[in-house]
Amino acid sequence: MSPAFLNFIETILNGLMAGVMYSLVALGFVLIFKASGIFNFAQGVMALFAALTLVGLQTGQVPFAHLINAIFGTDVHHFGWELPAILAVLGTLAVMVAFAYLFEAIVLKHLVNQEPIILFMATIGLAYFLEGFGDLMWGSDIKAINIGIPSGGSFWWEDVTREWATEGSDYFGMYVDKLDVVAAIVAIILVVALTLFSQFTATGRALRAVADDHQAALSVGISLRSIWVIVWSIAGFVALVAGIMWGAKSGVQFSLSLIALKALPVLILGGFTSIPGAIVGGLIIGVGEKLAELYVGPLVGGALENWFAYVVALVFLLFRPQGLFGEKIIERV
Amino acid sequence: MNAPFDPKLLTEPTPEFTLSAHQDDIPSGEVLLNVEHVSLSFGGVKAIQDVSFDIRKGEVRAIIGPNGAGKTSMLNVINGFYHPQEGTITYRGEPRKAMRSTAAARQGISRTFQNIALFNGMSTLDNIMTGRITLQTKNLFWQALWHGPAVKEDIEHRRAVEHIIDFLEIQHIRKTPVGRLPYGLQKRVELGRALAAEPALLLLDEPMAGMNLEEKEDMSRFILDVNSQFGTTIALIEHDMGVVMDISDRVVVLDYGRKIGDGTPDEVSKNQDVIDAYLGVPHD
Amino acid sequence: MSDADGAPLDTFPKYLLLNAKRFAGRPAMRHKDFGIWQTWTWRRQLEEVRAFSVGLKALGVEQGNRVAIIGANRPRLYWAFAAIQALRAIPVPVYADAVGEELAYVLDNAGVSVAVVQDQEQVDKVLSFAERIPSLEQVIYDEPRGLRDYDHTKLHAFESIQEHGRSLLASDPSIGSLWEKNIQEADGDDVSVMLYTSGTTGQSKGVMIKASAAVNAAADTVKFDGLNEYDEVLAYLPLAWVGDHYLNYAQGYVAGFCMSCPEGPETVSHDLKEIGPSFYFAPPRVFEGLLTSVTIRMEDAGRLKKHLFNHYRSVAAKYGEDILEKRPVPLFGRIAYWLGDLLVYGPLKNSLGFSKIRTAYTAGEAIGPDLFSFFRSLGINLKQLYGQTEAFLYVTAQKDSEVRADTVGPATPNVDIRISEDGEVQFKSPGMFAGYYKQEQKTAETLTEDGYVKTGDAGFFDKDGQLKIIDRAKDVGKLKSGALVAPKYIENTLKFFPNIKEAVTFGDGREFAAAFINIDLQAVGNWAERNNIAYASYQELAGHPQVYEMIADHVDETNKKLASEQMMAGGQIKRFLVLHKELDADDGELTRTQKVRRGFIGDRYGELIEALYDGSQEKYVETEVTFEDGRKGSIKATVKIADAGFYSVPEASTAKEAAE
Repeated sequence: MSPAFLNFIETILNGLMAGVMYSLVALGFVLIFKASGIFNFAQGVMALFAALTLVGLQTGQVPFAHLINAIFGTDVHHFGWELPAILAVLGTLAVMVAFAYLFEAIVLKHLVNQEPIILFMATIGLAYFLEGFGDLMWGSDIKAINIGIPSGGSFWWEDVTREWATEGSDYFGMYVDKLDVVAAIVAIILVVALTLFSQFTATGRALRAVADDHQAALSVGISLRSIWVIVWSIAGFVALVAGIMWGAKSGVQFSLSLIALKALPVLILGGFTSIPGAIVGGLIIGVGEKLAELYVGPLVGGALENWFAYVVALVFLLFRPQGLFGEKIIERV
Repeated sequence: MNAPFDPKLLTEPTPEFTLSAHQDDIPSGEVLLNVEHVSLSFGGVKAIQDVSFDIRKGEVRAIIGPNGAGKTSMLNVINGFYHPQEGTITYRGEPRKAMRSTAAARQGISRTFQNIALFNGMSTLDNIMTGRITLQTKNLFWQALWHGPAVKEDIEHRRAVEHIIDFLEIQHIRKTPVGRLPYGLQKRVELGRALAAEPALLLLDEPMAGMNLEEKEDMSRFILDVNSQFGTTIALIEHDMGVVMDISDRVVVLDYGRKIGDGTPDEVSKNQDVIDAYLGVPHD
Repeated sequence: MSDADGAPLDTFPKYLLLNAKRFAGRPAMRHKDFGIWQTWTWRRQLEEVRAFSVGLKALGVEQGNRVAIIGANRPRLYWAFAAIQALRAIPVPVYADAVGEELAYVLDNAGVSVAVVQDQEQVDKVLSFAERIPSLEQVIYDEPRGLRDYDHTKLHAFESIQEHGRSLLASDPSIGSLWEKNIQEADGDDVSVMLYTSGTTGQSKGVMIKASAAVNAAADTVKFDGLNEYDEVLAYLPLAWVGDHYLNYAQGYVAGFCMSCPEGPETVSHDLKEIGPSFYFAPPRVFEGLLTSVTIRMEDAGRLKKHLFNHYRSVAAKYGEDILEKRPVPLFGRIAYWLGDLLVYGPLKNSLGFSKIRTAYTAGEAIGPDLFSFFRSLGINLKQLYGQTEAFLYVTAQKDSEVRADTVGPATPNVDIRISEDGEVQFKSPGMFAGYYKQEQKTAETLTEDGYVKTGDAGFFDKDGQLKIIDRAKDVGKLKSGALVAPKYIENTLKFFPNIKEAVTFGDGREFAAAFINIDLQAVGNWAERNNIAYASYQELAGHPQVYEMIADHVDETNKKLASEQMMAGGQIKRFLVLHKELDADDGELTRTQKVRRGFIGDRYGELIEALYDGSQEKYVETEVTFEDGRKGSIKATVKIADAGFYSVPEASTAKEAAE
C-alpha cells in the first residue's frame, strides 16, 4: 500500500475517533430533547461540572474552599486523601442525580406546560449558574483527569501499519491515540446500554411514552416529575462520560463547556430526536473535518476544522431539515 | 363406561383471567362515583353548571348531549384533568375535591380519548404495557436499574397484557407501531391500554367516533364483554344514539353544561327536554 | 404398510399409537397462545386425543356416527379428528366461514349427532339452525369466551369433555386398554373422513374417503417428497379443505412431522416467519399477494434498497432456477447469485418465513409463469400439483428438478390417468373416494363405467409426459366468429398485474370477448397514495378515471400477449369495466376457496354484461351485498365502460402492429 493511501486511512480513523467524542456530547442533548422537548443549552456545562466534580472528589479537594477561606479566614484546600477512581466516579454520579432532582424540584416543576422557548431560557440560566457554581465549588484552575485511562499513541499499531507500506517507502506507521480508542469503546457500550434500557425496561417504556404524548402519559398514571428526574439523571451520566473523555484529552477547564457548540452541527445532521443519528452525525462530522483538513485545508490556508462542521450543517438545513434520522417533518395543508 | 352421560358431572372451565387489581367491596348496583352540584368554568365560560349524577357499580353509564354540552369536560373532571370550582365528587364513598390525573389513575380510573392519545412511535404491546404502570410495585428507579424483582414483575405484567391482546383480538398487530395502524384498530389498542390498568371505572370518550358500521359493532361487543365478563363499571360518551340505546343501562343527558335528563335509555328518549335539545329548540 | 407386529397400518389412530411410541418425545403440534408457542409431543398428543375420545364416547358417540368439526386451525379441533376416528365414527369438517344456511345444509345432510366447534360465533350459528339439523344432539366448544351464560345442558366445553374422559380413564384402567383395542380392531374399510366440496356448482357434496385409501395415498406422497418426523408445517388453510386435511393431518400422522397452528388468521405471516416451515403449500393467489406486498415495499423503500433489489432480482431471474435445478452455471453467475443471496434473497426469504422450505407446492389454478419463476429463482423449491377432493388431493405432482410453470407434472405414484376422447382428464388413484354421501346418483355421474373419476377438466400430456390443464372442460367457449375464448387463460394473464385482483371474462357465443375487472385495493390504494389521489371507498377508487387509464394499459398489454398466440388471438378483450365492488364469498360471488363463480356473477350482473355488448358508455346498477354478520344492504353505482385496443392477428411470425 502506498503511503498516500495509508495516510488517507489514518485520517479516516482519526476522524472516526474524533467523531465519537462529538457524538458523546450530542447524545446528552438528544436524550433530553426526546423526552421533554427541551433543548438543553447547559449540556456542555454539565459535562464541565461533572468533570470538575470528579477531579475534586478524586483529589480530595475541599468544596467551596475559596468561599470558606474568604469568610472564615482559614486556609483549607485539600482533605488530604485521594479517592480511588471508581469511588470518585460513583460519587460524581450521585452528585449528578442529586443535581437532576434539585433542578426538577426547584425549576422544572414550576414550568410544566410552558412553551419550549421558556424552558430553553431556563436551561441558559442553568448553564450560567452551573458554570459559576462549578468555579465557586472547585476553583477555576486547569486540572487534569487521571483515572487510569491509557493515552498517547499506540506503538503496536504503528509497528503493524508500518509493515503495510510499500517496500522502500519511508512510512512511519499510523498514529492512533489510545484515549480515542477507549472513548470509542465507551461510546459503543453507552449506546447499547441506553438502547437496551429504553427498549426493555418498564422505565424505558415510560420514557418513550412521555416523549410521545404527555397527556396520554398522565392519563395512564405516569408521573412526569419522576420521569424528568430520571431523564436529567441520565443526561447527567452521559455528561459525566463526555466530561471524562474530553477532560482527559484536553484538560478540565472552562473551554470544556464549549464542546456543546461542536454538538450543534452533529445534531442538525443526525436529527434532534435520534440516538443513532447522534452517533452517525458525529462520525460524519469527525471524518469530514479531518478529510477536509487533509485535502482542502492546504488550498484555503488551513483552520478548516473551525468552520467545516457548520457549513455541512447549513447544507443539511437546506436540503434535509429533519436530519438524517429525525422524524419526517410533514406539513399537511 | 356405559353409564348414562350426565352433563352435571362436567366441570365448568374456570376463567383464567380477571381484571380485578382495583377491586373494592362496594356491592354491584351501589353508587361507585357520585357527582354532586359540580360547576366548572374556564374564565367566564361556564362549561358545566350544577350537574349531579351518579355512576353505579357494574353498569354501563352513557353521557350524551349535543356538541358543546360539556360531556368531555365532565369526563375530564372525573379523571382529574380539570378541577371543578364548585361541587363535590365522591369516589368509593370518599369525597375528593382536587385530584391529579395520575392519582385518579392510581385509584383505578382509566380512560380513552376522543382523538386517540396513543404513543404513536411505540408498538401495540408497549402501549398496552404502559397501561400497567400504576400496578407496578417496584418504582421506576428500580425498573431503570433492571433489578431482578423488577424484571420478574415486568414479565408478570406482560402475561396479563397478552390476555388483553387476546381478548381484543389484536395479536396480529402486537409488534406494529400504533401510528401505522388504521383508525379503528388504534381505538381498540387504546381500549386495551385503558383495560391494562384493570380499572374499577373505565371512562370512554366517544369510543366509536369515526368508525364504520362493522367496527362499531366490534367495539360495542368489546365494551359489553368487558362489562359482563370482568364486571367493570363503564362511563361512556357517545354520539350514535343507536349504540347508546343498545349498550347502556342508564343515560345522563347534558345540554349547555346543564343536566336535562337522567334515566334508562327508554325514559330518556321519551323526555321532552331531551327531544327539544336534540331538535335544536332555542334556549330561553 | 404395517407396524412391527405385522398388523396393517390402515387408519390414522393406528398411526397415532405408533407415533406416540416411535416419536414419543418429538413435537407433534404447536400453537401460539398468549404470544408464546406451546408444544405438544406425540406422547402428549396421544393423551389429549385419548381423553377427548373417551369423553366423546361417554357422550354417546358410537361407530359410524358423524361428528362435525367447525372452526379455524386449532390443536383441539385437529385432535377431535383422531378422537372421532378412534371411535370408528366419522369426522365431518365444515368451513368456518360458511354462513348459517350452508352450515345447516351440510350438518343435516351428513346427519351429524355432535358438533365440535371453535367458539361462540360457531356455537351461535349452529344453535340458530338447530331446528334444521334434527340429528344434532350435543355441541362442544373450544373457546369458552362469551359462552358462560349459555344453557349448558347440550353444550359443553372441550376441556370438560376431556376432564370427564380423564376421570373415567383414571377410575378404570380397562377403559384405556379397551379404547386402544378398539383402534387396533378397526379396519381400513371404515370411512376416515367426509369432506364437503366447496361447490363451484350447486349444493356441496360429502366426499367419503376410506381409511385405507387415505393412509395409502398419504404414504405414497410422503415417500415421494421424502417427508419425515423432522419436517415442520404451518396449518393455516381452511381446516375443512381437502388440502389442509391431507397435507397437514394425513401426511403429518404418516410421516410424524410437527404441525403448527397460527395464533389467528391475521397473524399467519408472523407465525410463518417464526416457525419457518420445511413443507409449504399455498394457492397461487397467496404467492401473488406476497409478490405484490414485496413489490410495494420495494417501491416505498429508499433508492439504494430499490436498486439492490432490482439488480439482484434480475440476477436471480438469470441464474436462480438453474442453480436450484443444479444445472451448469458460469462461475461469475454463481458468485453474483451468492452475493444476491447474502444481500437480498436470504433476508427476503427470512422475512417471508421461507428460509427453511425444502418442498413447496401450489395448485388450484394456473400460476403466472413470471410469478412462479420469481419464487423459484429465490431458491425456493416450488412445484405444482394437480388434485381433487375426489382423489383425496394428489392426481399429479412435479418431481424435483422437472418443474415447469405451465404444467402440473406426471401422475403421482400408483395413480392412473387417461385423457378421454373429448379431452377430459380421468383418473384412478389409491386415495380415490368411495362415493358421495347419500348421493348415489351424483356418484354414478362422476365415475365412468370402468371406474375412473371424471375430473371435468380439459387437458393433455405434453411430450415430456407432464399434464397440462387448459381450463374446465365446459368453460372453453367460442365467439360467433368461431375463435376460441379460454376465459381462465385470459383472466390469469390479466391477474398477473398486481393492480388487478380478480377478472371475469365473457365471450362464449358473443361478438367479442369482454371483461369485469376487480382492482387490488392494497396495490391500487398505495399507488393512489403516492399519486395524491384521494378516495373514500373501494367504489370511488374503482371508478376513478386515472384508475381506468391504468387498467386500460394493463388490458392493452394483455391483448398484446394474447395476439402473440395464434390460438388465443381472437379472444382479445374489446371492452371492459372496473367493477364497483369487490367480489366476495359472502355474496356468493366467490367460492369458499376464493374461486370465481362465473355463472352466478353472470346472472347477478346481467345488466352490466349487456352494457358491455350494447355499446353504452356507462350503466347505473344497484347491487345487494351481505355483511359479515349476515345482514343485507345494497350499494349503488354508475359503472363506466371502456374500450380497449385490438391487435391484429399475427400471420405466423410477422411483427405485430397496433390497430387502434
